Amino acid sequence: MNQRLTLLMILSVALAACAGVLGLKGTQNPSHPFEHRAHVLKGVNCKECHAGVNAAGELDDVHFPTPKDCVRCHEKPHDTRDCRTCHTEPYVRASADLARKHLKFTHAQHMAEVKGDCVRCHLGVAEPNPTALRPAMATCFGCHTHQDQWAVRDCDGCHVDLEAEHVKPSSHVVHEGDFVREHGVRAASARDLCSSCHSERYCASCHGVGTVPLLPARRAFDEPQLSGLHSAGFRSRHSEEARAQPGVCTSCHSENSCKDCHTRANVAAGGKAQNPHPPDWLAAGRGGGQHGVQARIDPASCAGCHGGAGEQLCVGCHKVGGSGGNPHGSNFRSTKNKTRDVPCKLCHAGGL
Amino acid sequence: MCKTAAMRRRYWVSPLLAFCGTLGLTRNVCADPLRLRADAVAEAQAPAGLVILEGRDKIRPWLYAEGLVWTGAQNTPNADPAADVMVLAVRLREPHGLGEVRAGRFVVATGAVRPVQIDGGHALARAPWQSTTLEAFAGAPVVPRFGTTGYDWLGGGRIGQTLYSRATIGASYVQRRSHKDIADDEVGADFAAIPVRWLDLAARGAFDLTSPGIADALASAAVRMSPLRVELFAAHRSPSRLLPATSLFSVLGDFPSQSIGSTIRWEAAPRLDVLASGAGQHVGGEFGGNGFLRALLRTSDRGDGNLGFEGRRQDVSSAKWTGLRGLATLPLGRGFRYATEVELAFPDAPRGRGIAWPWGLAALSWRSSSGWEAAGAVEASATPEHRYQMNALLRVSKSLEIR
Repeated sequence: MNQRLTLLMILSVALAACAGVLGLKGTQNPSHPFEHRAHVLKGVNCKECHAGVNAAGELDDVHFPTPKDCVRCHEKPHDTRDCRTCHTEPYVRASADLARKHLKFTHAQHMAEVKGDCVRCHLGVAEPNPTALRPAMATCFGCHTHQDQWAVRDCDGCHVDLEAEHVKPSSHVVHEGDFVREHGVRAASARDLCSSCHSERYCASCHGVGTVPLLPARRAFDEPQLSGLHSAGFRSRHSEEARAQPGVCTSCHSENSCKDCHTRANVAAGGKAQNPHPPDWLAAGRGGGQHGVQARIDPASCAGCHGGAGEQLCVGCHKVGGSGGNPHGSNFRSTKNKTRDVPCKLCHAGGL
Repeated sequence: MCKTAAMRRRYWVSPLLAFCGTLGLTRNVCADPLRLRADAVAEAQAPAGLVILEGRDKIRPWLYAEGLVWTGAQNTPNADPAADVMVLAVRLREPHGLGEVRAGRFVVATGAVRPVQIDGGHALARAPWQSTTLEAFAGAPVVPRFGTTGYDWLGGGRIGQTLYSRATIGASYVQRRSHKDIADDEVGADFAAIPVRWLDLAARGAFDLTSPGIADALASAAVRMSPLRVELFAAHRSPSRLLPATSLFSVLGDFPSQSIGSTIRWEAAPRLDVLASGAGQHVGGEFGGNGFLRALLRTSDRGDGNLGFEGRRQDVSSAKWTGLRGLATLPLGRGFRYATEVELAFPDAPRGRGIAWPWGLAALSWRSSSGWEAAGAVEASATPEHRYQMNALLRVSKSLEIR
């Protein structure tokens, strides 16, 4: 019985500890953050502390209260230090400063519309432990539908420079799930929408053939929490990953990418490396061993090493009348002229 | 290949000129700042050094310029200093959103057209009633490191129609020539819809006109029901049709691969995200599958510290392996942060490449409020080629804004 009780106590303590870690309950904050909620419940009007905010224009200062504003009500402060020494959270101020830098916004224009009701946008002030006081964009959409601006991708009305803002949308085009895989199909109908936030180099860092010889994931080696392709020990497992998803590599890489990299690493054909193919790769007789099947499963892998001039290796056997026979699949059709166009004329020389 | 001194100089001078060109474009900067960033990256294993310079500026709300160049050197025999321009583009936008034009070096990706980096132009026009878009692009596919190839070009376009602000359908076409011969000739269709707030639908498909058949097709449907997001996806790929039609391997006929699966994201707790994905695959007449489970726990509300875990299994055709990965980032104060990541991959068929491929990295980084960043890491691994390998990485970056 005692053992069960001990176990139960240990479990309770563990659960309580986990609740804090998982963010299920607010952690004790030694800085005694400013209690907006208490002031709202007391009926203190926001403008009493944030004096002048109702007339603030686009470039005016953010209206944070000074100790003078506090002592108007709190006549006997419990400490001689500046109230902001303890009763503040740096990210709230930083968030407001960033908003001033990134958004075209005037309080003066909005205060009239909401009839001085700040909580209508700043929902966080009424919450017990708000993580943010800056309104989410979804709140803006509560009044501004922006349908016309959305249609023409015109974000300049509110955002100074979305690309520089590095904002992650929370209410639209949410990049959650396995977005690395998903982004291709999502971007197909809305490339211009992607470019409202992402600069040219963002696409080029993966999809450019003149890509910096260092993958983005490799460049950000100190941020392993970011998901990305080719992370961690990708070099070791790239062969397995390429074989599991034929055709995926060629979404970004040219068929020469394999050869270029293998040549640099000295594991390409002609280097120190041995023949990578298994013993039954090229068997005599019908079927010719494994190579025909594997070439149909992942032709890009073959082209990776045997592309360009290396194609002559195939033509030696598979030319018309050659020992390799017809390499085309059963349903092969082509609009190319076999005697004139590349690659047909490699095998069909002389109009055969 | 023997290179003249002039050619060697070109490697260094061209990116410099390109970058200066970008800066020149931004001469008349007013309120908006010119943003510059320089990264210097060194790797002990190669050993190699790399400098990446990028600059961008929104000169006016309707005019935007961007450039990114890199130059590097490898300390290996016969290795030349190399450099390239990755992006050098100017974008002009009609103030009312009726259209935009891009010119320079950039990536074209629209509709079912697979992303391709070109030196050329791209124009987009929207009908005044804003529901029809027309795009056209043309240029020469980029050849890395200032190489040139004659008679290589591509051109194409897309027409898109928005329906009741809820759906978009589009049709696209691209033709690419390599040494005058057709390398790609494709038509495509795309579709996206948000019929209700909690449902996202998207699909695209490309049809190869050279060797008639579906080159690739993707579809995705996602349902959002906080704290869950469930996505169903399907893909069909014909690998030989994804190769340039000038390659001999494009005429072999192939075994198209298909996959169908689901990804579930669960916000299990305010600081804990769980992502699970699984798919069944049909590759080369064989059935298989792959899946992973990933969890990320933020150790503070601001997310500056993280603990992560991932387990992965791939079991398709001859590619069978299991992997485990763990990561941790820890803020140390005063702008310092420690990060570590470990991975263990176990191939089912080692074939003399080792029974496990462990990989680990420990990094220390520092970020200042003045725009300086520095990070160093030690990486150790056992790979299929090497029983033991160590590497050191260093990155120093500086970002600045000039008004």
